[in-house]
Formats: sequence, C-alpha cells, structure tokens
Amino acid sequence: MNLERKVEILSESAKYDVSCSSSGSKRKNTKGGLGNGAYAGICHSWSEDGRCISLLKILYTNYCIYDCVYCVNRHSNDIPRAAFTPEELAELTINFYRRNYIEGLFLSSGIIKNPDYTMEQLIKAMRLLRENKGFNGYIHVKAIPGADSRLISLAGQYADRMSVNIELPTGKSLSMLAPQKNKSSIIGSMGLISTRIKEVREERKTFKKALPFVPAGQSTQLIVGATPDDDLHVLNLTQGLYGRFGLKRVYYSAYVPVNTQSSLLPAIASPPMVRENRLYQADWLLRFYGFKAEEILDEKHPNLDLNLDPKSDWALRNLHLFPVEVNKADYEMLLRVPGIGVISARKILAARRVKALTFDGLSRIGVVLKRARHFITCQGKYYGERGLNEELIRLSITNTKRTFSQASNQLTIFTEEFLGC
Amino acid sequence: MIVYIYDGTFSGLLTAVYEAFYQKEKPGQILKEWDYSQNLFSQPIYIYSDNDKADKVFNAIKERISFTALKNVYYAFLSETDNGDTLIYNYLKLGLKMGKYVDGNYSHETVSRLHEICKKVAREKHRMLGLIRFRLIRGDVYYASMEPDHNVIALIAPHFARRMSDQNWIIHDIKRKTAIVYNQTEWVMTELEVTQALPIDEEEYLYQKVWKTYFDKIAIRERKNPRLQKSFMPSRYWKHLIEI
Repeated sequence: MNLERKVEILSESAKYDVSCSSSGSKRKNTKGGLGNGAYAGICHSWSEDGRCISLLKILYTNYCIYDCVYCVNRHSNDIPRAAFTPEELAELTINFYRRNYIEGLFLSSGIIKNPDYTMEQLIKAMRLLRENKGFNGYIHVKAIPGADSRLISLAGQYADRMSVNIELPTGKSLSMLAPQKNKSSIIGSMGLISTRIKEVREERKTFKKALPFVPAGQSTQLIVGATPDDDLHVLNLTQGLYGRFGLKRVYYSAYVPVNTQSSLLPAIASPPMVRENRLYQADWLLRFYGFKAEEILDEKHPNLDLNLDPKSDWALRNLHLFPVEVNKADYEMLLRVPGIGVISARKILAARRVKALTFDGLSRIGVVLKRARHFITCQGKYYGERGLNEELIRLSITNTKRTFSQASNQLTIFTEEFLGC
Repeated sequence: MIVYIYDGTFSGLLTAVYEAFYQKEKPGQILKEWDYSQNLFSQPIYIYSDNDKADKVFNAIKERISFTALKNVYYAFLSETDNGDTLIYNYLKLGLKMGKYVDGNYSHETVSRLHEICKKVAREKHRMLGLIRFRLIRGDVYYASMEPDHNVIALIAPHFARRMSDQNWIIHDIKRKTAIVYNQTEWVMTELEVTQALPIDEEEYLYQKVWKTYFDKIAIRERKNPRLQKSFMPSRYWKHLIEI
C-alpha cells in the first residue's frame, strides 16, 4: 500500500479527535536539529469544517481489537484498514514539517494485540523522530489506557503533551458503549501521568538536566450527546479533572453518528454543535473566570441554555449583583460581567489608572456593549435601555444573535479557542 | 499644510520625527516619498535620513517612553497603512508627554488606532508563521512565496532561522520584491524577483499530493463550514497554499 493511501485511511480515522492544540511547550531546537516548540502554538491551516490544523493528526493504525459502539474504527466495522511502520511515520512527519505544513505530530492508534504492544509501537515512532532524526517539534501522543506504567512513563519523555480520552461522562455510559474500556484504567493512566508530571517538575528544580516529562501537560476528551448524561454532570466531571489531575484541557466533541446501525445510540441528524459550544464557554468560565460548576448549573437547571451563553445566563439569575461601576469594580467582578473578557478586564484596570473610563472608551477597549451595557454603570450612568428587568434583558441579548435553529449550521461567532484549538 | 517627505526607511521616519520636534514648521502629515503627490495645498519638506538623529529618537522612545512603545512604532511603520507615519508622530508626541503610561490610555483615539494597527501586523506576522509553504527546489533549497498585507518578512525570519536551522531556505515577498535567504548559518534580507518557473524537486510532488489528501480527509463532513474556514484563513492568502 502506498503512502498516500495510508494517509487517506489513517487520517480519516483520526479526525474525530478534537484537540489540535500545539501550545504550552518551549522545546528548543538542538544543534543541527529540526524544529522547536512555539509556546503560543501555531495554526497552519483550516480545514473545510473550520477547525484548525496545526498537527499531523493521524493514527498509527486503525486495526483495533475493541468494539466501541460509537467509534468508526471499531472491530466489527467493515472499513479499509492500514498501518504505518515507525520509519514511514517519522519520514512523513519530517517532510511535512520541513515544508511548514504542520507544527508537529498528534499520534493516536487503534488497539493492536493489547495496550502494551500498542504503546510500544507509538514509543518506537517517537523515539525514531527524537533520537535518530533530531526532531524537536511538537508531539502529542495518546496514552493507551491500561498500558504498563513504565511504558507510559517512557512515552512521556518523548512527548510534549499526552492525553487519555475519558470518552463518556459516566462509567455507566462507558460500559454500555465501550464495553472493553473501563473507567478505572482510564482514570488510573491519567493519575499516573499527573503524578509523574509533578515529580519531574520537582526533580527539574534541583537537577536541570533531568529529562522533561510531558511539558505541555495532559488533556482529555469526551463525547457529548451520545448518551443521556446532562451538562451538570459533564461540568462537575470537568471541574474534578482540573482539580484532581491538573489537566490542561478537557475537550468536548459533539457526537457525530458514524455507526448508525446500533440501537444503543441516539438517532440524530446532525451533531449537537451548539451544545458543544456552550460547554466550551462554560469550561472557559471554570478555567479563566473563577466560576465554580455549581454556580453555572444545578439540579434545577441541569443543562446549559442553548440560546444564551452561560455567563449571561448566570448574570440574569444573579441580577441583584448588578449593575457594577466599571471604574470601581475589582478584577474578579469585572470578569463576571457578560461582554467583558479576560483581556478587556485587564485593559479596563490599566486604562482607569490613567483616567476615568468613558462609555465610548469601553468599546475601543473591546468590551461587547450589546451585552455589557445592561450590567454596568459608567461614571454612574446606566446605559441599558430596558432597566434591570430579567426578561427584557434576556430578549435584548438573544435577539441580537442568531436564533438556535440557524446557528446549528452556521457557527461563525466562535473564536478559534472555542473550536478546540 | 506642511508635509514631511522621507525615503521610506525606518531611520528616515525617525529622522522626520526628530525634525518635527526641533523645527519650527510642524508637519500636518509625514509621508513616504512614493506616497506623496504634489498638490496646491501642501507644502513639502524633504527630510534626508540621518542616522545620528534617528538614533536619538530611537533611544528617546526606549528611555523616555518604553520598549513597548518602540515596538509599537516599528510595527506601525511596517504596517504600511495610509497615514500610519503621521499617526506614529502623533502617538510619539503624546508618549513623550505621558511617558510609559501612554499605552494604558486605551480610550485615547490616537493610542487606540495605533494599537489596532499594531494588532493587525502582529496577527499577520503570526498567521504567516503558519501559512507559508516551503517547496523543495533542486539544489536542496526550500522556497516559500507570500504576499502579506503588511511588511512582516523581517519579523518572521528569526522564527524560521531557529526552527529550520538545518535546511537552506528562501522566503520571498513577491509584492515587495524582497526575500530572506538563509544558508544554515545566518539570514540576510535581499531584493529578489523571480521571472521564470522554479526547478521543482521530484520528491516535492509526492508530499504535495499527500498533504492535499490529508487536508481533504481531516475535515468532518457533518460539520462543514466554509464561512468559518474563510474567517480564519482569508482567501487572499490561498494562492500561496498547496492544499486549497
């Protein structure tokens, strides 16, 4: 089988992995070597679905002994199969990299023989790249859940980022749709990586020459909408993963029905992309805005509002805290105002040190006044037309945006981060 | 209106700023010589580049305002935006009054306009890090062409010198007829115009083909969204890409 055909098969099978991040690693080039890590990450292209391409995202092989109901590569699917050799994969990566097509490699794989054997193959390919070819670009590798801890530790020495996919929000859903995977081996591998990251970080404080281990941290991904699990559950899980394992990112992937024959899966026409986006927005609130999952959702509201972003939704439920004076409010409170993001909150702090902010100045700073004006005063004046009336503000905010039904096919309002970069 | 005209170099611009501060006749506009056309209402004054004067302004910006301000001025200069040089002059007038706080004055029109321009340049610089495509030509040289809106070629050169340190490469700005040439040791900027087809290495076609296949297969059909794709990767860049 020629190279092009292999790439065709093995990228087709890898496209459902959401992560495309190439950030967080400052790996330096070695003398006579090729490549380095750009800390901020670099997107190299955008595919037809609007998702960024920064890494060569590909499977080592799509032969798989598992039979996960939602997965295109499952054992019982009759699809073309292929496998790389470590040499082929390394050559391809290097040649794409030299032409500036990619920022590095995202290497995943179907399970061949058993988790250990699979992990060994991925290590072989990475070792070839790092040790024989002098490659210092970015590598994201999948830790195969259930692989021996020594293999996972070894893999982490070559990789910039590692991830174990949690796949589904609950153990129950997992045992229903991915019966050969189990929650404890997934969580076990995650724990192992997280412990090792912390250990190596300590070691490197004293021994500068200690090898780095997964310098860009670990991430995971779960599928949204394949099972009846609600958003509250997803967000609580996410919060737990950030807290317990110090994960860099949790990615959400709107369920795409690839195997339609199973009665275990919901019959849907298109992936729940708006819900996916709302989860990313809520995730941002957890990571950068100081929110707790229980502030965003509770038993009474277990799902995110599809018509309204989670921060606006929270603000409308907490109108007693508003309006806030932009010239006085502290950073934490500014961050909670719909329409003010991390960058504009910082700019507000800097700008008002020079002189009091005017309402016109706010839009120049980048505040989205359509939303923010209902929740702030500027030099004591309130600019919302409708007063602090929940229903009226809700109408005003949602009317200015696309409605849900239109938005499901044309989501152009996102920043690239929301799409999983 | 008094118009200062300079040779289009950075040091020429700084000289013009120097003169504007010290001469009695203050300019209403500062223009590159190729952007100036004579008319009844303008009174042109030609400024000759002077490295000593330029250095003085350079150091004054760094010391009396900030390093950020210096970077902003350079980025705005590279932006080649209409009236960009006059804006730089106004920004510096304000900067010398306010010192390092000038960039915190986000709601000031001059500052915010200058920041906007700098952001555009920074964004395009970052885009070009990802969007240029090298082609292997015979003689073991990787060649990339581009036509950025702003003059970012010098800004991206150090990145590729660090990253592709073990290959020979050329990055060519076709619009401005300039190029960065790197020989595995150092890079230099030079004038360059390519008039005939480049001798492409045989191996190049294979990887171009495989890259196109990859690009095509990695998209999820159920999520197709060409508008989103275009908003991240504007079509004016497409002709220098392989995949599209």
